[in-house]
Amino acid sequence: MPALIELQEIVKVYPPALLALDHISLRFVEGEIHALVGENGAGKSTLMKVLYGLAHPDRGRVLYQGREIRFASPAAAIAAGIGMVHQEIVLVNEYTVWENIVLGAEPVGWFGQIDRPRARRQVQAIIDRFQFELEPDARVADISVAARQKVEILKLLYREVRVLILDEPTAVLAPQEIPQLFAELRALRDQGHTILFVSHRLEEVLELADRVTVLRRGRAVATLPAAGTTRSELAERMVGRAVLFQSRRVPQPSGEALLTLAGLRAVDGQGRISLHDISLQVHAGELVGVAGVEGNGQLELVHAIVGLLRPNAGRIVVAGTELTAAPILARRRVLAFVAQDRGRMGGSLSASVVENAIMTHHRLNRRLLRWRGWLLDMRAARRFTAELAARFAVSTPALAAPLQTLSGGNQQKVILGRELLLDCPVILLDQPTRGLDVGSIEYVHDQILAMRAAGRALLMVSASLEELFLLADRIVVLHRGSLVADVPVEQTTVEQVGRWMLEGVQGDG
Amino acid sequence: MNLWTGLLNGAISGATSILLAGLGGAFTYYAGVFNIAMEGMMLMAAFCAVWGSFTFSSWVAGLLLAVVGSLGLALVFILFAVFLDTDEFVTGIALNLFALGATTYLLRQSFGVKGVYAGSDIEPLPALTLPWVAEIPWIGPVMAGHNLIVYGAVVATVASAWLIFRTRFGLRLRAAGYNPASLDSSGVSARRMRVYALLVCGVLCGLAGAFLSLGYVTLFSENMTAGRGWISLAAIILVGGNPWGVALIALLFGLADVAGLLLQSYQIPAQFTAMTPYLATLVALYFYARRASRAIRGRAAGFRDE
Amino acid sequence: MAKLFNGLLGIGVALALGGLLMLVQGYNPLASYGALLQFSVADSYALATTFTNAVPLVLTGLSAALAFASGPVNLGQPGQLLMGALAATVGGLFLDLPPLLMVPLLVLLAMAGGALWAGLAALLRQVFQMSEFIVTLMLNMVADFFTIWAITYPLQDSTAYSPMTPPIAQSGWLPEWGDWNSAVVWMLAAVAATWFFSRRTRAGYEWRIGGQNSLFARLGGCPVDRNFVWVMLLTGALAGLAGGLVVMGGPHRFLRGLGANDGWDGVMVAIVANNSLPGVFLYGLFFAAIQSGALGMELITGVPSEIAMVLQGVLVLAIVASREALQQVTARLAVRRRALERRA
Repeated sequence: MPALIELQEIVKVYPPALLALDHISLRFVEGEIHALVGENGAGKSTLMKVLYGLAHPDRGRVLYQGREIRFASPAAAIAAGIGMVHQEIVLVNEYTVWENIVLGAEPVGWFGQIDRPRARRQVQAIIDRFQFELEPDARVADISVAARQKVEILKLLYREVRVLILDEPTAVLAPQEIPQLFAELRALRDQGHTILFVSHRLEEVLELADRVTVLRRGRAVATLPAAGTTRSELAERMVGRAVLFQSRRVPQPSGEALLTLAGLRAVDGQGRISLHDISLQVHAGELVGVAGVEGNGQLELVHAIVGLLRPNAGRIVVAGTELTAAPILARRRVLAFVAQDRGRMGGSLSASVVENAIMTHHRLNRRLLRWRGWLLDMRAARRFTAELAARFAVSTPALAAPLQTLSGGNQQKVILGRELLLDCPVILLDQPTRGLDVGSIEYVHDQILAMRAAGRALLMVSASLEELFLLADRIVVLHRGSLVADVPVEQTTVEQVGRWMLEGVQGDG
Repeated sequence: MNLWTGLLNGAISGATSILLAGLGGAFTYYAGVFNIAMEGMMLMAAFCAVWGSFTFSSWVAGLLLAVVGSLGLALVFILFAVFLDTDEFVTGIALNLFALGATTYLLRQSFGVKGVYAGSDIEPLPALTLPWVAEIPWIGPVMAGHNLIVYGAVVATVASAWLIFRTRFGLRLRAAGYNPASLDSSGVSARRMRVYALLVCGVLCGLAGAFLSLGYVTLFSENMTAGRGWISLAAIILVGGNPWGVALIALLFGLADVAGLLLQSYQIPAQFTAMTPYLATLVALYFYARRASRAIRGRAAGFRDE
Repeated sequence: MAKLFNGLLGIGVALALGGLLMLVQGYNPLASYGALLQFSVADSYALATTFTNAVPLVLTGLSAALAFASGPVNLGQPGQLLMGALAATVGGLFLDLPPLLMVPLLVLLAMAGGALWAGLAALLRQVFQMSEFIVTLMLNMVADFFTIWAITYPLQDSTAYSPMTPPIAQSGWLPEWGDWNSAVVWMLAAVAATWFFSRRTRAGYEWRIGGQNSLFARLGGCPVDRNFVWVMLLTGALAGLAGGLVVMGGPHRFLRGLGANDGWDGVMVAIVANNSLPGVFLYGLFFAAIQSGALGMELITGVPSEIAMVLQGVLVLAIVASREALQQVTARLAVRRRALERRA
């Protein structure tokens, strides 16, 4: 079969040092659903952006219908018939469904005044043709995520694209919404559209796609027909080795309760309950993992514990100290916190390594202070940072270098080291390995297990079930702001936790 | 002409420059540009208007040059903030200071004076008598006899509201501010919309400046905008950019201006009455902040430290 | 290194544009710049004038730079300067103590005046969540009119023709040594103290980090809201000090138009220095040199001295532009180099 789109030796580098695409060559055939799978950071999204004109390859060629193309912008890609639905939905929330669909290709009357009746009629026609259930006059801010995704797809169909790129379209959907999307996509294929589908959920890929390409660390490692390929085959190629779901955790008895959450409740500005009477205990020498689909209350839980969000009811007690309404500094005496976001909550990227390393210590560690705490002893601060760098194997050009000049793994080591050196009984970890390379992840895991062995109480939020099963003693599941399960890790399976994450527990929610 | 007509007449005069600059800022506000250079654009325009009117003995030339001068600054802003990606705040401040310096220098260079030039050879904007307007009861006497730009401002308000809310241009403009990524992925460059918005802002600030130096008064003095650009910025923030809202707020400031003049007849020193527009801005900001914080308070707000 | 290059590039571009402007208007740019140099740094008197001119620029520059680097958008330097000058003047009119007490007291009064005016903005922000950005701007205008009223009515010198106060008590005059005014010493002390505060104290560290990433600072246990108030008070005090020193070192009274552009010039200095404190000192001196040299330029070649203001404006734009352009070029080069490395 002739290729509709052909990629030849595509290279893309993101500054400062990320090789996102490493000489990728691929062929997409007209009228197929072609899936691209790979781990986070394997280069799936970047590849699609290159195809769509959102990113420009540093090397290589893209052929479309046999001709070399180099889209200057998404507009050029759309005009040529290639459209993309992003992982994050990029619609104008303030606009109605029809305004979003026609934006950029509006039917107009005199002096550029928008011909509203015509625009609405056209949008209604296209909704009817593909049998999407949507109300053209609804404001996008008011409709569900699944409906917004449909708006994105309709927006492209309105522009008569022939190739649809979907970046992780199921990530934002509820499980029961997925079959409908798949049915709609198959219908589009049968009408002759070509669909490129990016995902890391292997079952979905095998269910929907005709062919699957596996990406690993910027390289295309295989293209397989979906029929006859198994999930573990794909997984092995994605990770590059046989996937081991084996815990390195050594069983140990846990001690007294160091972190107690009792009936924690939080209500957001619109009166929605974001945390629903959360009660939880974490004991010394125990690691409790928090599982959940993103946006089910993890953020609020972490914010309530560190003091960024005032709970409307309930108590937080750490090591016998009541912290429910305590200022942040008082919390930090007993609570170490590793944030998921290194540049926003975890550190300041433009500040030096030293300045990042001494945060919080600058209030609590007398070694760094002179003159009753008025002055900082910069020499002591540098010595402290050097010790931290040595102990946590930080590789940095200089201690005075800005944090952003370090690799992600080394940045996280600085932050992790800073928090662990606070010597707090309770450690709160919010996705501590997010966006790190494999080596750094293993290092962080080792440090976390060492803290557990040292008798600390650890609470870890993670988006990766694999990580939770690797490290946790107990797993709790957040679903729509409620804790729907709290089980020892030996008594459950990845599949069961996954089901709880999506559907809650029967009768609970 | 009774007291009320005089009062409202004065208020309209005081409001016009703030309204025009505010409308210009509304375009950039919707396009997602943090534009604080209105002050500088107006000042540059005010000078160019006087210079043009003086040099060519024609208010038309003054008006045109005012728009050109203001557009020149808008182009620099575009070059810096849109294409070089410099910080909008820094660029805006730098442009305002540049306008202040340049007009002071040019005042000295062209007219050989420091501080103020108020020669009788500056041709002011002519007052316009629209025959049918004066006939309207109540509103007629208030609306009649203003100069061209005042009527231009009324037209500009209607036109801005129409452009922003009814046209293709407006739909794209607002999308550039609400979610530029969405507009870009719709095939329209958000950057280009920002350029258009800044150009419109340049033209409107040009008219605002020309009104100040050829309509409101007939002279140019150093830093004669005296914070009007900042007030119009505050007005835009207060009403979220809506042209009708900007017009309302501008009229309120015009009234504060006139109220200040009235207070003078009660032996209140002129310096205090001159503060009224700025104090009025602070009061308006207070009400805005109270409304905004009430909206947040329902949400579990962050703690105060200690 | 890159900073130095960038600064020199910006200055070069600005001077070239200024020269072009003079050329177009029929002046001799080389002779003019020669005169500028001669009257700003060539001899002790010129140098002393430059340093004295630099006092308000550097102090308001420190105020703006410290505020911007710590987060608060304090644009109230002009108003805070005026209120500081007024406070020192009032003190100087109604008190007469031995100079050893009088000078420090007036300095403190000036700082208190500026801090009070900035504190008002901080209060409105903390209690009512009113943006300090607009509030400080409006308070500038209010301070302007308020001080004009004060010197026109209650504090007016009845013997003078234009609004001004009588001279302050002689004990409050800053001593002079030859061409050099001791205001310069106060400025140098303020630069050193501010630098020490920012680099060596715990609060300085917290302010700096808070300015870069306030969420990180808050989570790290810094009292971010309380620090906000202190930043406003201290930066207000610095601007107020500028006003006080202008009165005590120069005309010894508050006259109309005092410190007219100094506040905004300070904001400009902070911007070109990218909020670095040593940078503020150097650029403050440079701007002051342009200002004092411009007077000499007018004397020799007839170029209006107001060209200093144009040069400053162009300088700010040129330096900001070259800073951004340089960053973009280096980032692009780095990408290309890495792509080649990986290929090999």
